[in-house]
Amino acid sequence: MTSVLLIDDDTELTKLLEEYLEEEQFHLDSAHDGVVGLQKALANQYAVVVLDVMLPGMSGLDVLKQLRQKSTVPVLMLTARGSELDRILGLELGADDYLPKPFNPRELVARLRAILRRTTGGGAAASSKPVHLADVELHPESRSVTCGGKAVTLTGAEFDLLYTFLRSPGKIISREDLTQAALGRPMSPMDRSIDVHVSNLRRKLGSYDGNHERIKAIRGSGYVYLLPGEQP
Amino acid sequence: MIHRTLFFKIFIWFWMAAAVIIGVFALMVRNSYNQSFPQRMRSSFREALNLYAEAAAHTYDHDGPQAFAEFVAKSERESGTLVYLFDASGHPISGSGDAEVAALLQTILKEPPQDRYTLISGRVTWGRPVTALSGGHYIFVARLAAVSLGPPFAFTPLRITVSILIAGLGCYLLALYLSAPLKKLRETVQAFAQGNLSVRVGPSLGKRGEVADLGRDFDHMAERISNLIESQKRLLADISHELRSPLARLSVALELARKNSSAAAMGPLNRIEQESERLNELVGQLLALTRLESGAERVPAETVLLEDVVQQIVDDANFEAKPLHKEVKIVQLDKCRVNGSAELLRSAIENVVRNGVRYTAQGTAVEVGLYWKLDTAELSVRDRGPGVPESDLEHIFEPFYRVSEARDRASGGAGLGLSIADRTVKLHGGSINARNVEGGLQVIIKMPLAPVQPVATAPDQTAFSPAPLASG
Repeated sequence: MTSVLLIDDDTELTKLLEEYLEEEQFHLDSAHDGVVGLQKALANQYAVVVLDVMLPGMSGLDVLKQLRQKSTVPVLMLTARGSELDRILGLELGADDYLPKPFNPRELVARLRAILRRTTGGGAAASSKPVHLADVELHPESRSVTCGGKAVTLTGAEFDLLYTFLRSPGKIISREDLTQAALGRPMSPMDRSIDVHVSNLRRKLGSYDGNHERIKAIRGSGYVYLLPGEQP
Repeated sequence: MIHRTLFFKIFIWFWMAAAVIIGVFALMVRNSYNQSFPQRMRSSFREALNLYAEAAAHTYDHDGPQAFAEFVAKSERESGTLVYLFDASGHPISGSGDAEVAALLQTILKEPPQDRYTLISGRVTWGRPVTALSGGHYIFVARLAAVSLGPPFAFTPLRITVSILIAGLGCYLLALYLSAPLKKLRETVQAFAQGNLSVRVGPSLGKRGEVADLGRDFDHMAERISNLIESQKRLLADISHELRSPLARLSVALELARKNSSAAAMGPLNRIEQESERLNELVGQLLALTRLESGAERVPAETVLLEDVVQQIVDDANFEAKPLHKEVKIVQLDKCRVNGSAELLRSAIENVVRNGVRYTAQGTAVEVGLYWKLDTAELSVRDRGPGVPESDLEHIFEPFYRVSEARDRASGGAGLGLSIADRTVKLHGGSINARNVEGGLQVIIKMPLAPVQPVATAPDQTAFSPAPLASG
């Protein structure tokens, strides 16, 4: 059984979910406010943390911010539908994926499985050879990245995204393919999360020489990871 | 527009008034200068001069010409007063003086009993007949150099100009002093109007006076408005939370029921799921609309690259439309920059495009065009559907307005998408219109273009400045 922590103040919902996820081979542990949730998330080993943005006591975004200072556990955020702001902020703070609430529990299970597929060594880590490209160095086995000699802390999704880019630099990769590779799930319509992840990655790696973009958006097609000399 | 400001008005009117006052004052002083002398003369100087005249006559008559010469010399030495003495027929005894003195002498000779004076450029020449104690008749004339009877301040053109300039400086400071609190108040009101609900005038306008009172009244009003908006926001968040929590539980319970049910129950269960999804969407749209209409939503002044927004929406909508055997395509995509919120605009345009996808006939395409028109960005979304009866055209942007109930329900519309688009576009200073074109409906959104700026935002830097509305 995979253990999952759900931080949500709706006790009735967590009970129902416990029951539902039990049948899907997940063990659900729950916390009903941000402070307790953060303690539990830091104290125990969970495969995934599911975090509601709107929490009493301490907001979900604050929990995420503090959690990210100490842990790289995958986080799936539950956001209010229509509140793009929470979603974008959450992804920028290092959440791996989000699900608008109210959600279909089947969708929740699919997202959880997608995250687990990525983090438990499937997909991206097929080849474990380190990748070098200009100033960036990526080690699949330790899931660590250095840029210009300095270690860069990436979330799981950002790591997989970078790995995907580094394996085909200079080639345009569609947003659909990037979503599949980085988030382990097909892109849904009106889904902007891949753009936020790309933007985070850009910010964390910085640009070449301070003013040449590393990752360029190609309108209508996707993104391309540029080599240092290859500026458009 | 500076000549319309209060500062300028106070400054210029006060200065003009001050200049007029200075001018009138200078004129009055100049006019009264020659006339004011006799009145003042008569009272005290005359007595003194009479004594002086008698003393001079006595000195000459009694002590002799030698003593009188000394008297004259002493008078000139000590007080600067020139003394002339004539005999009764006007022959000079001690010097004849200048033309002025001679003229005065002639006047006195004509009318002997009177004392006379002349006043020329501030110097007084005074004379009278005088009889010595011994009985000798003389005429005494004195030039009073020591007595300055000119005006205390002479208004030369230069001095008048300098006075007016100094008055101008004073009026400038006065205008600044009077208009500064109003300017401060205006800045505060502007900041408040732009959505910074926490600004207050506070004690910066002083404690007393009309402007300070106005500031306090503004603070009072601002407090009430921000409380209202805050409570409105809280209410929206609460409603959102309270309506959605049961829906979230419902969907989990539904899945549990699905797992434990026979195949026969699947139809109704699917229906329950569909309806709860519809309810959920409706709650979301209703909240979005209320937020837009309540003014709780702020439009940030960030630059939005409309062509990127449109491209992404079309890509997504096309992806969604394919299974329905429909298509969404771009016919024109000019570069258009507008000011506003990328997220709000995205949802507005998305609503219009989705509406087009909903109504366009199978096998046809929704055509989206973005046109750059000098100062306006024009977005056209054209479907190949049944169109809208002319009488209904102006109403389709009203919430829950239904052209045809049966058709809408079949296509799953909640009836709020176009209203949201309408409010959002208006919030951004634009307009939205619909018209029937051959074989379909065309919705046109017009938005004012952003002023050209040298620095553009990167295409994927998603903007999220509007105040967050926590819910969930």
